[in-house]
Amino acid sequence: MQQHPFVAILTRLGTFVLVMIALSIMIFILARIVPGDPARMALGPAATQDQVDALRGQMGLDQPLVLQYLDYAGKALRGDLGMSLVSQRPVTTDLSQTVPATLELVLVSVVFMFAVAIPLGVLIAHYRDRAVDHLGRLLSLTGVTIPSFLFAITLQLLAARYLSGWPIIGRLDHDLNWTGGPTGFLLLDGLLTGRPDVSLNALQHLILPAFALSMAGIGQITRITRSAMIENQRKDHVLTLKSFGVPERVIIFRYLLKLSSIAPLTIMGLEFASLIGNAFVIEMIFAWGGFASYGLNAILQKDLNAVTAVVLVAGLFFIVANLIVDVLITMIDPRLRRKEAR
Amino acid sequence: MTEPLLKVEGLNVSFTTYGRTRKVLNDVSFTVGAGERVALIGETGSGKSVTAKAIIGTLPKNAVVSSGSIAFAGREVLAMPRGEREALKGTAFSLIMQDPLASFNPVFKIGTHLDDVMRFADKREGKSFSKAERRNRIAAVLRRVQLADTERVMNAYPSELSGGMRQRVLIGLALLHQPKLLIADEPGTALDVTTQDEILNLINQLVVEEKMSLLMITHNLGVVRKVADRVVVMHHGDIVETGPCAEILKHPSQAYTKALLDAVPPLYGPRVLDLPASDKPPIVTIDGLNKIYGRRNGYHAVRDVNLVLKEGEVFGLAGESGSGKTSVARIIMGLSSATSGTISIDAPAPAKGRRLTQIVYQNPGTSLNPKRTVRQTLTLPLKAIGLDGAARLARMNELMDLVRLPQSYLSKYPHELSGGQKQRVAIARALAAEPKILILDEPTAALDVSVQKTVIELLLQLREELGLTYLMISHDLSLMRNFCSRIAIMLRGEIVEDGATTQVFANPTHPYTRALIAAIPVVTDEEERLKPSVSEEERTRFLVKTTD
Repeated sequence: MQQHPFVAILTRLGTFVLVMIALSIMIFILARIVPGDPARMALGPAATQDQVDALRGQMGLDQPLVLQYLDYAGKALRGDLGMSLVSQRPVTTDLSQTVPATLELVLVSVVFMFAVAIPLGVLIAHYRDRAVDHLGRLLSLTGVTIPSFLFAITLQLLAARYLSGWPIIGRLDHDLNWTGGPTGFLLLDGLLTGRPDVSLNALQHLILPAFALSMAGIGQITRITRSAMIENQRKDHVLTLKSFGVPERVIIFRYLLKLSSIAPLTIMGLEFASLIGNAFVIEMIFAWGGFASYGLNAILQKDLNAVTAVVLVAGLFFIVANLIVDVLITMIDPRLRRKEAR
Repeated sequence: MTEPLLKVEGLNVSFTTYGRTRKVLNDVSFTVGAGERVALIGETGSGKSVTAKAIIGTLPKNAVVSSGSIAFAGREVLAMPRGEREALKGTAFSLIMQDPLASFNPVFKIGTHLDDVMRFADKREGKSFSKAERRNRIAAVLRRVQLADTERVMNAYPSELSGGMRQRVLIGLALLHQPKLLIADEPGTALDVTTQDEILNLINQLVVEEKMSLLMITHNLGVVRKVADRVVVMHHGDIVETGPCAEILKHPSQAYTKALLDAVPPLYGPRVLDLPASDKPPIVTIDGLNKIYGRRNGYHAVRDVNLVLKEGEVFGLAGESGSGKTSVARIIMGLSSATSGTISIDAPAPAKGRRLTQIVYQNPGTSLNPKRTVRQTLTLPLKAIGLDGAARLARMNELMDLVRLPQSYLSKYPHELSGGQKQRVAIARALAAEPKILILDEPTAALDVSVQKTVIELLLQLREELGLTYLMISHDLSLMRNFCSRIAIMLRGEIVEDGATTQVFANPTHPYTRALIAAIPVVTDEEERLKPSVSEEERTRFLVKTTD
């Protein structure tokens, strides 16, 4: 039985909605059963019990948990994620300012990962068991094992010492008089508003944190690419093409690469979770001002609405990333397109 | 005397793995004349595929040609510069590989494979064609291999074609540049017997039409009779004997060739073994069995199957891939549930851990865990029936004796055993649970004929000694002719014919049965004559279409 691609995508989207609902319930309850009264923390130790109770009532914390959730969910569907206790602004406003920063960082890291890991994996697979291979595997193992914050600090130190003038914190130099663009992605906004200097400056700021963030993924994906290439090299179809004199570079870069990209893509989807986790640390080190640092503050301050929103957005990133990976893999592998009824 | 098209002389090839060098070809010499069809036959490890790879130039990196010469049309191939040698590929000689599914990259369209092979061969000849021109040329070749809907085939991914169609495309791939020599490495072996028969007919026809020479590599002596004028018999890297096909098959001069011929189960004639039917009461009764996989628009794998297995008999369930025979076996074993119908096994309920039914799988290379020794493999079922310590050890030794393996083999790992020995271990493992009924799922399909013979003999002895009942699932009708006392033929989930083996083979009533028997490659002309005849109309009605 042939499943229509449209049906397949709809099923995916359905699962996606269910996961988001489950995630929102979990984080909603979790945030509320953790000890510590958010109202008390917001008002400070000097506030009277009456003031605290009043704020609790205002926040709806005196209601049963189920009602609280339904109220929250209803508003969330209308695009209202509540007020942040700390910033005293709607959470959505806070997010709209911080999410693009993080997204830009993460996306550039993903680009780095593929740009470095796939060619490296192909290269060391080709020189299997030779010096290049051993060196490449050692490097990728280093990438996987060393925590990203260590890379971040090392890169910062090296840049500060040897590359004078290279930016090591923030997203942009202050003296550029940048007032913000339509998307929040600095690389893009700079080009859209005719300020290539902004894009260039933003790129300089991006390189170090994005590289530090991508190291673990680079290591992982290099190894996966290598083993997939080696495994597929042994297949009969490679021998078939060889026995008809198709050049080796065509076999490697056309036939093997496409087949061997399925495994690294799948890993990429899963790697996304740790990418967001690591982004929390990297953003702190590079004073990035993204939503990860916002989330970290929210957790420490028990800013309920902000915490819930940050977790939901992180979950959304992860799910969307995997959705994209699924679609890509289905585009690559025809066997996944024809799901047999058996 | 004219120069032969291909002349291999004194070829020595050795492989180096983990620092150890092993000689795989030993002074191999033979010729293939223009228009001649030569079969290179031998069992696993005889060096027949290595010979083909040496000719084409696709030997693995760890292989070394230490001496010898390969001359193609009078030109020494081994001394050629790399570019010149590459230029021969696909144009002077072409290879047809064994497994048509594995021979295509699953994420590229069939047309992409064909186009790339054609494009680079053109380039080496210094020609250049537009994509549309190449497409037309490819379509013409596909029509030569009887694939009429060329657009569909080219736009299909490998997984979207049937096995027979893929094999045809693979042949087409070899024909793209009118090679002088076609090298076929076990074509059709991975396919059903009826499809294999059609593929062999096609190759025969093309060799004549395109005036090619054929070097057929095979382990199947029946195939040899069908497609070869001359035979080269190989064994452990040596050439044992060479001669005209009819001569070798009728009067082999070497002991090895004789043994090889003897091991082939005959389809007709005085050598056929008739197993007496069992007169004991039924042990398994299957009534109105149906199996549908999937919920909506499910796949109806088994349709209204009624079967009776009598105690102590060898019952054969024959059919091609997808006929539902394995589904029936799985349901009898209790590994999968029936959609409707009943199965009753007339035997006392087994004690704890023991099982009434056990199974021996097709490929012992994959059904045994490579990380566990024979002892560890046997421990699990013996532990399950509550044997411990000395009792378990004694039973283990007993099992090894039963399958005629030395007790010292208990500490060996699967990779230290030969294929036949591994299958014996698998049989011992099945017997450990003390079953009454043994299900044999193509138990010898992965083995060489000479090994197959010994395993079959062992199974027959075990049946005598232990009073077992066998249900054998297979597509190899010539083997079943000599091993089963009764047989049922399955087609698309239904049993189309059943009865005593002698009767079914002497007088097959259903056209599908006749087609199946007729497609079996046999070794002697007498057997060929005794095969039932099938009309073209019947073939098209019951056989899977392999064209399009």
